[in-house]
Amino acid sequence: MDAVQRAAGEAWAFRARVEREAASRFARLAAAIPAFDPASPVPALLRRAAADEDRHAALCAGLSASYGCPGGGGATDVRITPRSLGPRDAVLYEVVAACCITETESVATLATLLGEQAEPRVRTVLREIARDEVVHGRMGWAHLAREAAVRDVSFLAAWVPSMLAGTVEEGLFPAGEPGPDELLRHGVLPGPRKKEIFVRTLDEVVLPGLEKLGVSAAPARAWISQRIS
Amino acid sequence: MLFKKLFQLLVLGGAMVGTASGCATPGQAQAAADNKPEDRDGGSSPDGGTAKAQDADGGAAADAGGGVVGW
Repeated sequence: MDAVQRAAGEAWAFRARVEREAASRFARLAAAIPAFDPASPVPALLRRAAADEDRHAALCAGLSASYGCPGGGGATDVRITPRSLGPRDAVLYEVVAACCITETESVATLATLLGEQAEPRVRTVLREIARDEVVHGRMGWAHLAREAAVRDVSFLAAWVPSMLAGTVEEGLFPAGEPGPDELLRHGVLPGPRKKEIFVRTLDEVVLPGLEKLGVSAAPARAWISQRIS
Repeated sequence: MLFKKLFQLLVLGGAMVGTASGCATPGQAQAAADNKPEDRDGGSSPDGGTAKAQDADGGAAADAGGGVVGW
């Protein structure tokens, strides 16, 4: 197995694990929201998303296996919320981190990959996942918009840097891990390209979205500028 | 162009989905906020996952928040 095949297999195995974790997280969040917002459409979207993510995990594991890499191991439902937050704030924190940031970044990554010349089997998987991830990103913005309509959500601003720090892989900043352009054929962004997409998605989608809904982006912009200057 | 489209599709589209149904009430917000954080099982970070928890300063403070690793 050459280095590109191995890197592609590891990337898809990692994605399989990420997707399994998302399935657990979405199922848990779907159960929590009705306690304070029984009219919300978001829990139904989260339940459907949990099923989507299980399916995505199988697709990613299938690709990783085709590259000779095991399927990514088990997944853990990791709680990421600060202990000081009450239940409703904690749900909002987690939805923003998982959907408004991570799923939105995933959509941008998938759209970029679909603009490249990927192998047919890879392209088929990318296309199927991308279709669902748009809905997954939207449900985060839907929940934040509902919350912002009835209460002050500005407390999130101070926490966005923590969410971002927990989102990026080690090595993305300052330069991004190098990688051959050949990775694109296998559905993987080389490090510098990944960094570019990550930062532009924050600058032009995530942070303007947060600001529009009452969450200052100033702490997040300071976090970014410290890492790319 | 991609990013402008993503903003419209995800942020504006999502906000529309969220606010098209009946809204939560501030009263419901207050009732939920009155629950103490200790009442829930939050903040733990078992090993083996891809999500990462760390505090806002990058240290090991007890009140740590984290993020979710994606693609």
